[in-house]
Amino acid sequence: MITVSLTVNGKAVSHEVADETLLVEYLREALGLTGTHVGCDTSQCGCCTIHLDGISVKSCTVLAAQAEGREVTTIEGLAKDGSLHPMQEAFRECHGLQCGFCTPGQIMAGVELIRTWEGPLDEHQVREEMEGNLCRCTGYHNIVKAILKVHKETRGSADA
Amino acid sequence: MDLLKSLRAVGQPLRRKEDERLITGRGQFTDDFSLPAQTWAAMVRSPYPHAKINGVDASAALAMPGVLGVLTGADALADGLGEIPHNPVPSTKFDVKLTGRGGTPVYIGEHYLLPTDRARYVGEAVAMVVAETRSQAYSAAEAVMVDFEPLDWVAGTVEATAPDAPKLWDALPDNILVDATFGDGAGTDAAFKAAANVVSMTWVIGRVTGVPLEPRAALGWYDPDTQRYTLYAGSGGAVRQKHELAKVIGVDPAAVRVISLDVGGNFGTRNRAYVEFGLVMWASKKIRRPVKFRADRSESFLTDYQGRDLVSEVSLALDKDGNFLALRASNLSNVGARCVSLSPLSKGSGLITGSYHIPVTTLRSRATFSNTMPTQAYRSSGRPEVTFAIERLIDKAARELGYDRLDLRRRNLVQSSQMPYRNAIGSLYDSGEYGKNMDRLLELGDWAGSAARRREAEARGKLFGLGFANYVESSIGSPKERADIIVHHGKGIEVVIGTQPAGQGHETSFAQVMADLLGIGFDEVTITLGDTDVVTAGGGTHSGRSMRHASTVMALAAEDLVNKAKGLAAEILETSTDQVTFGEGLFGAPGTNRTLGWQELAVAAADKWPEGLRVRRDNEMHQPVFPNGACMCEIEIDPDTGGIDITRYVTVDDVGRCINPMIVHGQTHGGIAQGVGQALWESFTIDPDSGQPIAASFVDYGMPRFDNLPSFTCEIAEVHSPTNPFGVKAGGEGGTTPAPAVIMSAIEDALAPLGTIEIEMPATPLKIWNAIRTLRARTRAIAQTEPA
Amino acid sequence: MYPFTYHRPTSVVDAVKMFGASDDAAFLSGGHTLLPTLKARLAAPSDVIDLTALPELKGIEETKSGLLIRGGTVHADVAASPLVRRNIPVLAGLAGSIGDRHVRHRGTIGGSVANNDPAADYPSAVLALNATVITDRRRIAAGEYFTGLYETCREPGEIVIGVEFPVPLSAGYAKFRNLASRYALAAAFVARTSAGVRVAVTGAYNTGVTRPAHFEKALDADFSAEALDALDVDPKDMLSDAAATAAYRANLTKVLARRAVAHQGEVLIYK
Repeated sequence: MITVSLTVNGKAVSHEVADETLLVEYLREALGLTGTHVGCDTSQCGCCTIHLDGISVKSCTVLAAQAEGREVTTIEGLAKDGSLHPMQEAFRECHGLQCGFCTPGQIMAGVELIRTWEGPLDEHQVREEMEGNLCRCTGYHNIVKAILKVHKETRGSADA
Repeated sequence: MDLLKSLRAVGQPLRRKEDERLITGRGQFTDDFSLPAQTWAAMVRSPYPHAKINGVDASAALAMPGVLGVLTGADALADGLGEIPHNPVPSTKFDVKLTGRGGTPVYIGEHYLLPTDRARYVGEAVAMVVAETRSQAYSAAEAVMVDFEPLDWVAGTVEATAPDAPKLWDALPDNILVDATFGDGAGTDAAFKAAANVVSMTWVIGRVTGVPLEPRAALGWYDPDTQRYTLYAGSGGAVRQKHELAKVIGVDPAAVRVISLDVGGNFGTRNRAYVEFGLVMWASKKIRRPVKFRADRSESFLTDYQGRDLVSEVSLALDKDGNFLALRASNLSNVGARCVSLSPLSKGSGLITGSYHIPVTTLRSRATFSNTMPTQAYRSSGRPEVTFAIERLIDKAARELGYDRLDLRRRNLVQSSQMPYRNAIGSLYDSGEYGKNMDRLLELGDWAGSAARRREAEARGKLFGLGFANYVESSIGSPKERADIIVHHGKGIEVVIGTQPAGQGHETSFAQVMADLLGIGFDEVTITLGDTDVVTAGGGTHSGRSMRHASTVMALAAEDLVNKAKGLAAEILETSTDQVTFGEGLFGAPGTNRTLGWQELAVAAADKWPEGLRVRRDNEMHQPVFPNGACMCEIEIDPDTGGIDITRYVTVDDVGRCINPMIVHGQTHGGIAQGVGQALWESFTIDPDSGQPIAASFVDYGMPRFDNLPSFTCEIAEVHSPTNPFGVKAGGEGGTTPAPAVIMSAIEDALAPLGTIEIEMPATPLKIWNAIRTLRARTRAIAQTEPA
Repeated sequence: MYPFTYHRPTSVVDAVKMFGASDDAAFLSGGHTLLPTLKARLAAPSDVIDLTALPELKGIEETKSGLLIRGGTVHADVAASPLVRRNIPVLAGLAGSIGDRHVRHRGTIGGSVANNDPAADYPSAVLALNATVITDRRRIAAGEYFTGLYETCREPGEIVIGVEFPVPLSAGYAKFRNLASRYALAAAFVARTSAGVRVAVTGAYNTGVTRPAHFEKALDADFSAEALDALDVDPKDMLSDAAATAAYRANLTKVLARRAVAHQGEVLIYK
């Protein structure tokens, strides 16, 4: 057993967990933050995507112990003061979700992409950078639209 | 219908009510639920495709940490657990009636929760471990020693039909459970004899799996105080599964509650109950604690009910002018180790002539068992397969007989003037403008401009392919649906209904319908689904049935509610019921300016009726509807690698009345992805030497992804169906139906300058490269034999 | 996963000590090879030693001999590094093509080189650029380091501290990805170095990352795509599986090598 202490969605948390506990298991089971989902066992689907110190990672492929002392942001921590994040709004506006299972991972991936991308962003680049997130419902078309919409609105650059 | 007079919400791309919780991580998927003192289940699964079970030794597993019990098929039998009543033979009035040989009933192969005799496919659960933690359960499952005696096995669809193939079920002389003939054999033979030309082909539409991103899960709890079972399990129909599982366990359905709230994708995979659902319920009673199961993705790959797997032999007879005279088809469906649903074979059987007027046809429909995972409906169940067969056959006819592939289609298309059109198998197409769909599609996709795009691509060293397909598909589905409308005093209006969405947006689109029916705001309506303690009846969601059945029963219920409310309003307004008017959400009467809204009536109703202002309405509809459309795509192939890019994908889809175009477009996009996936990347392949599945993870099973699909251009056509009040057809599956055909049509077109060669789906880069290599070798060989 | 004991050393010396003290330890770096393996229950180490806190494994520096990329550097940082982009831009591009965005935020060069997956990208760059693998106990030339499929000359417990890359005159990388796993079915890294042309192919040869000598000889004489036209890759030397037959890999190897030659300075990703 090992004690892990970290910050999740701005709140300090600390628990004793089995050493082999994955970060996604810790979030879902110890913290009850069930918005982050497990969709596969080969680190490919991206349903578990969260931010670790602001960087997008697959929480199913990180040990909880590796998040010691770090800052984790999950889908539950994205909205601020009751206001949805622009990416959340865009997903709703553009119909970028259907069943919603992959959606938290998609949104977290999209947020990090927009936040760190420099310069113009076009459809081709969005499709390349989002390759690590699978969706079975939407055919991706509207998710691309949502991400480009947020980029245009928040970073100001026109599509290439 | 009067209530349809003013449509405000219907037809609008209103944003979804579901999204608030889903975009903030507050969805309620099955694994999100936990109960105090819950335990975990793990399945012991057969590593063999076919094996006798001679015994189960659980002693090592029982000694492991945290293990609370190991349950086997023998234990289940001893406790009197029954078979899952899958009811696989489609039996609505208009389903094509499949039978065994000589009209005998279809033998389906029993489905007990755990088998006692044999395992019949790799991955079949033969025992269950229950432990304190999931990890402990899975570790202990590895320690359960099953005495398997491997038997000969057969996985291939055609191979399984051989008279001497290894047999799965003792009750049958072989593996053939369905063998029925439809249509007019003599007439077809005569037409073929008289035909100027005959074109034939055998098509293989291989096996894929649905891959909903939420792996299946189930949480079962037996409450000894109430003697009721509660099951949390994402499904395609909570009411249906409640009744099925009650039968399995051997209790009254009232003793079972199924909760199926947010469901992470269905596509058909969740239309039938899984053994784990019954097992966690049963185990919970035995150990007196909740039992939870969550499949790994690899378990989902192995043991989700799978899709497609049809071999279709088709022949088309034409006269000298290219008119279609007759169609002969023989379709063989691989249902897997037991039959859980014959929907694909049945539905496909009704549509073999496709969008075309073919006066006479004969069809032989067969189904075979094999040592593979059972198959069932998967996105557009049966229709992509038969659409593929007819559309690709027409491409072949055009090519071999020298016709333009669009002209040949137009000449034979069912005309609007022929609607409602009964095809030669007996399906009655309700409505549609197939010629108009084609015209609009070619315009929307700039078919005329493709020649220039071809030249441009070729200048870059690419092979350019242009694909086309028409489609008509059917939406039948469970015929019964129920709606409760409750006017809540102080809140809004609640509709309880028995469909089971997994992303289709029923909470939104149904609210649009009810809002307009009752003359109230969209925001005032809430839709309740998925908990069988609240939802007492309903047909679930499959076959594109939901909006058609829901809008109809809601319209009928709304009428009942308005009439009931009129009676109450009459009392308040001191007039007679027949004097009361209703419009724009308000009740009034001549001779008074006073109007009553729904909330006021709810308050009054609370005094008058203990149940308040509410109605319940049941409806039964059997008449199918036929969504239809046209589709084109453009692709580029890198001839050196076989790599393929889709550069354009355009559809026109007649969904009947469109309730929410945003939602319908989303369904089309997702449907396209699944159809294209089958054409290019997806295959649940069984190794022919070992019988082992070789694509049981995302490492091997190719998926549609952000970077292998283009953006789509999709347009909705609305030809209202005369079969239901709102004129709804269906919009959920038309994206998939023509997709495999249109992609393979484009690939054939791209390779045409090199020659013609059959490529079996999925047309991976390896297969495309091999095809190019073979065609080039052929050309060289011909050149070498040609006289100098 | 089977249970294990987790350790997080803060120096290489400690890491080596911990390894020696364990029954059966595995090193954890980016985790995107080890953790999926453990989740699949394909391995059951008694101890997992996390190398990501080791200061000796952090950073990218210019050295006398070129660029030193320390083992704990994640792929995204190599891809974005101004140093790498300026000196060996194709190496930055290769790193930026590994896995997907989230994988690149965690996967490390040390892990990739230590594991030597037959379809990984880095081994082709290490071999083609004649890099030196620096471990906690020695410096190993690329040609000696990779010894076969999944095999390296690393001893048990030997930690990859970093990889030192000489700067080439030019380089190019072309890869064809498996449509499901997105690993390389075949990929060719072609570099012009002061000691001649070096070609390293990953994903294709049944000997692991391999230099086709006949390609290098032809390109030394004439550095052009056409110089490879008359040459063949023997399918007998190729891996074969459901996704790609030996003949197909042989074809891809040649096609990708030609394209890497013709597009020096670029990273070409196909699927």
